[in-house]
Amino acid sequence: MAFSSTVFLYPNFPLRSPSSQITKPRHQSFPIRCSESIADRPPMSSPFDLRSYWTSMISHIEADLDAAIPIAYPDRIYESMRYSVLSNGAKRAPPIMCIAACELVGGDRSIALPTASALEMVHTASLIHDDLPCMDSAQLRRGRPSNHAVFGVGLAVLTGDALFPLAFSHVVGHTPASLVPPQAILRVIGEIARTVGSTGMAAGQMFDLLPEYGGEQEDVIVVLEKKFGEMAECSAVCGGLLGGADEEELERLRRYGRAVGVLYEVVDDVLMEEDKGVGGNGRSGKMRSNASVVRALGKGRAMEIVEELREKAKEELKGFGDKYGERVLPLYSFVDYAVDRGFKLESHVTAVAGDSAPYSP
Amino acid sequence: MASFATFHLAGSRPLRPPFPTPTMTVLRPPSRSLFLSFPSLNAVEIKADPSVATTEFDFKGFLLKKAESVNRALDLAIPVIHPKRIHEAMRYSLLAGGKRIRPVLCIAACEIVGGDEAQAIPPACAVEMIHTMSLIHDDLPCMDDDDLRRGMPSCHRAYGESVAVLAGDALLALAFQHLVDLRNYPSSIAIPPAILVRATAELARCIGTEGLVAGQLLDMESTGLEDPVDIDRLEFIHLHKTAALLEASVVIGAVVGGGSDSEVERLRRYARCIGLLFQVVDDILDVTKSSQELGKTAAKDLASNKTTYPKLLGLEKSREFADELLRDAKSQIEGFDSLKAAPLLHLANYIAYRQN
Repeated sequence: MAFSSTVFLYPNFPLRSPSSQITKPRHQSFPIRCSESIADRPPMSSPFDLRSYWTSMISHIEADLDAAIPIAYPDRIYESMRYSVLSNGAKRAPPIMCIAACELVGGDRSIALPTASALEMVHTASLIHDDLPCMDSAQLRRGRPSNHAVFGVGLAVLTGDALFPLAFSHVVGHTPASLVPPQAILRVIGEIARTVGSTGMAAGQMFDLLPEYGGEQEDVIVVLEKKFGEMAECSAVCGGLLGGADEEELERLRRYGRAVGVLYEVVDDVLMEEDKGVGGNGRSGKMRSNASVVRALGKGRAMEIVEELREKAKEELKGFGDKYGERVLPLYSFVDYAVDRGFKLESHVTAVAGDSAPYSP
Repeated sequence: MASFATFHLAGSRPLRPPFPTPTMTVLRPPSRSLFLSFPSLNAVEIKADPSVATTEFDFKGFLLKKAESVNRALDLAIPVIHPKRIHEAMRYSLLAGGKRIRPVLCIAACEIVGGDEAQAIPPACAVEMIHTMSLIHDDLPCMDDDDLRRGMPSCHRAYGESVAVLAGDALLALAFQHLVDLRNYPSSIAIPPAILVRATAELARCIGTEGLVAGQLLDMESTGLEDPVDIDRLEFIHLHKTAALLEASVVIGAVVGGGSDSEVERLRRYARCIGLLFQVVDDILDVTKSSQELGKTAAKDLASNKTTYPKLLGLEKSREFADELLRDAKSQIEGFDSLKAAPLLHLANYIAYRQN
């Protein structure tokens, strides 16, 4: 089928060597359900190529981010924001999921673009603070010095503090008011704020700092949901809100987004385990988590969780397929991509891409 | 005034023509006696100011009453839920007391344009959350490295640096979450969503790289320099670090209260004036008061080689500048109903005449 042959030419999970992803199909060490799940998908008349969709989207998002952060006085703070936000190798997964969800329910992508960029800004802010010496103390991020290593710890704190409000300004200032009602804007702001706040990503980082966390299955899943699931959930919901989704659709997007976010991270965990050291901290653009599903629960259970999440994510999409037909394809393809990693992103900005998770650009 | 041409309130939009017929004050001739005498005035003995001597306004009572409403709302805004530690850290800093000047300004601005206190409570909480968050991050070892805040261990001393960073981030996020949530507003007053969108934009702008953060950055970069910074830079720091959040407080209060564009712009200028005034007075007090009178170390700025207005302009000119700012601030609220304007008038005086 065109869909699977274009994007998922080589279902190659788990990978052993990320550098050979595209050219060499890998032996499958656990049953991939790619072929079976094709039956679940809605009928398609044209192929959907996730890679070109993603790549073309990235250039829109980066142009928008570039314009959103001009260099102005005082220069240092803008330079610092640009250093991290416009960093090479970012996959821009939250923005892309946001746009895809907006397009799914019939919204134009221009409606979701400012919010997509805002998601990238708040995520970057969280990453900058996560790297601080008092937190993860990471010297590298996506293969180059982390923000505080270049600009100093004080400025890194301020840079994060500046990116949060910039994100909100960007949504409010650039979302076309003629196409999006103010109620929707307020809900988008509320979603983003909740996601990065004390019950969302900040909670995830909080858990990660606690030594007693990470041993039990529930703990690990909670950390993954907070640190990774919520961002994806927020991305999907914001896209839906802007595109005019109804409440039931929003709830489904919520569950879908959360499942895909966690799914990607669990797969990453398995890949990391198999690939010790490679694609690890220094190269990754994602948030590091001390909670490892594989370490806590074993690889077998991790792979079961992968299948459960994949199933769950696709289940949530079924209703959309009936209503929106092919427009559901991008969201479908994210699910399989999360597991199969059927391609590596190549674009002008991702030329030195590390093997990072899409929910953690 | 030509000698203070540097005070141009960078970025302010042109003000509309003054409101017709100021009803409550006769324009006083520029009197030097005011600033010459003000260091001896008591902070809350507001009768010392001739322009308000005729009103029966209980400013102290007003401050306490509004602060109480705000404290109640702040307490409810952050329940101690899972994960407890971060919520406790947020509460520790947010509920540590303080005069709640920003929330009170927000409520007073809402009321001056005809709004109700209840509808200003969510924005008032939001600005206090932002203020607290900026203090938490400001106290971090990588910034000001303060161990004490309001006589208590600073957030990172009590909870650790990592929790302090996260608690600050979480308060910043909560401020916006709280501001935009329609459920926080009284059901009896329908607030148009477009109004809250505008308030969101104002708050975001005032605390980002065009506001608070820019001020903190320049302040940080100016600390420990051999040469004093020049007047432009000093003013930039104060206008951004202090005045911007006061501006946000007043402006979003007025916006949520249904103020017109011209009312909002007058109040914006009022807030910028009292923001700068606050710092000028602070600098003056530092050189004129003893530690005992201030309740904190006096001449600290001198000892730390910090640039201050008295250092750049001299004490006399600094006082003139303070006087000029106070008059400018008051002139912005002249067009409003005098009863409703009383709190903002007294707030300006309070900032000018405080003794510590």
